[in-house]
Amino acid sequence: MNDPQDDASADRVDDEPPDDPPDDASPDRVPPDGAPPNDARESAGDTVLVADGGVGDESAATNEPRIAFYGGKWASTIPLALFIVWAIFQSGVLGIGDTNGLVIGALVGTILGMFFARGDWKTYADTIFEGMTQRVAATAIVAWLWAGMFADTLQVGGFVEGLIFAADALNVGATTFPAAAFVLCGLLATGIGTGYGATIAFVTLFFPAGVLIGANPVLLFAAILSGAVFGDNLAPVSDTTIVSAVTQDADIGGVVASRFKYAIAAAIPAFAAYLIAGSIMSGVSLEGAVALRESANALGLVHLLSMGIVILTAVAGRHIVEAISWGLVVAVAFNLAFGLSSVSDILVFTVPEAGTFSSLPFVAVGETAGVGGSLYTGATGFFPLIVLTLLIVSMAQIMIRGGGFAAIQEFLLNSVATTVRRAELTMVLGTATINGMITINTAAEIAIAPYIARIGEKFNINGYRRANILDANTSALGYIFPWAGGVLVGYQVMVGPGGLGEQYGPEMVVNPIEVVPYVFHGWFLVIVFLLAAITGFGREYIPDRISEEVSRA
Amino acid sequence: MSRFKKFLAGWSLRSSTPSYEPGDVIEVMVTGDAGGETVARIGDSTLRIEGAPDDALNTRVRVAVETWDETAHRGTGTYRETVGESAF
Repeated sequence: MNDPQDDASADRVDDEPPDDPPDDASPDRVPPDGAPPNDARESAGDTVLVADGGVGDESAATNEPRIAFYGGKWASTIPLALFIVWAIFQSGVLGIGDTNGLVIGALVGTILGMFFARGDWKTYADTIFEGMTQRVAATAIVAWLWAGMFADTLQVGGFVEGLIFAADALNVGATTFPAAAFVLCGLLATGIGTGYGATIAFVTLFFPAGVLIGANPVLLFAAILSGAVFGDNLAPVSDTTIVSAVTQDADIGGVVASRFKYAIAAAIPAFAAYLIAGSIMSGVSLEGAVALRESANALGLVHLLSMGIVILTAVAGRHIVEAISWGLVVAVAFNLAFGLSSVSDILVFTVPEAGTFSSLPFVAVGETAGVGGSLYTGATGFFPLIVLTLLIVSMAQIMIRGGGFAAIQEFLLNSVATTVRRAELTMVLGTATINGMITINTAAEIAIAPYIARIGEKFNINGYRRANILDANTSALGYIFPWAGGVLVGYQVMVGPGGLGEQYGPEMVVNPIEVVPYVFHGWFLVIVFLLAAITGFGREYIPDRISEEVSRA
Repeated sequence: MSRFKKFLAGWSLRSSTPSYEPGDVIEVMVTGDAGGETVARIGDSTLRIEGAPDDALNTRVRVAVETWDETAHRGTGTYRETVGESAF
């Protein structure tokens, strides 16, 4: 509870320096985030706590805490700790993969933490704003909005149907179906950047066709999840790729290029494992080739080009906004030129009554007024995650200002991560553990990203390597366990109203616990990184090459 | 770095104790300043940096390597300039 006797200074510990900005006025110092020069920041006077660079300001993490808590610095972890407990209970225990629910958890945690803050609660409240205005959050948000529009435009443009055509043309049979599903779902997920979206699309369209042909349902579902892991991990438009890059001061294109070696090292044995397991594990023999062919559309494969443009442009070092914009322009052009979608599939204003503008291709008459189309759904689909991200980074900022962040970091560096090998193992196992517990893997990734940055930097581990360690386990663990978001969305397609179970019978429903051992790419990716930490495979130090930083994220 | 080289970077088993040559100018994150010594720990190697500013901890600096002991995995260098800061 707030103590009315506390004066304005009581919100800081006794031996803490006043609110002066850190003495970082070296003339040659270049803020990597394009922030205003130090003198401009200093002119903010009392508001310097808000304006001095947020989480990106190392002084905050290393100097004395600025918010004092009843219960000491560990109490500053209450908001984030409560959020993690909430996330585990909601997603892990109850199996509810609802991002909006996590938003409420973050709000409740933030409010609860305030009751433990000493002195004027204004400092605590200001820190929430300080956290939310960090560039790291803004960069991820911008990239998500663009990636969402691109992904949904590929979806309405028949990319999935194109991949189904490829499977049919290649004459994929029951034994090779899981391996093909892994590759094709991996391609889709790499194109649209969302493993969840790829899982839903493939479980809806590809899974029943495969089971009807005679593929083993458990193996097929696991193969689809493996494909989702691959794309979530590698795609430049993936939310987890974006978070991993921007939180480690690395450009997205460079991260994707440096990640390729790990992804391939896991994907090749995973592909082989699906071929072998596919020939061993039998399925339900039903004739389903007709169902497969019905939805196939060769033209949808043109979006391999849309996808390629984004990947190549990003790897070439162009800004991710530019790269995705080009991909989006090409995808829209393909959709319209080849009749893959209508204008209204991409953007539509729905009005209740016909009028002057209802003849326009992007104006439709419907029951309810509103805006729709792939651009709309793609961007708005990220809104819950954006709000959650803002809240998570503000809770992390409270922890930094309260000293909890530094305390945990100190413990890890002094007791666990004492050599570079142990530091990397700590990073791998830490990300794996937190992602194993929290269903929504992007949320887990954002929460642990500051630790990966700091532990890695303490051994001068390159930003690309840190981003790769962070994202591999985030992607992998998000699709393995029964409570993982990727598994839940696929399972929901099977058991939901009008789902596959209702349409085809119980053979089409897979128990999520059964798929755990067969998500080969997920497991292999974790193993690759454990081996990489032990052997030094792929390790790069900061002096080796400089990440191109978030200015080109 | 070319597009192709970006894909090939890191395809090796990297030592936990990297070495540098006198005369190399490298960018490192300053990882410690205990006892009046400014140091950058690179993997399990250590580079002592002379002439670094007082607030160099957790900043990225350019350093000219002066000496390097391959056996002890230790070296010394001279601070040139500050070029960045911590990601967090």
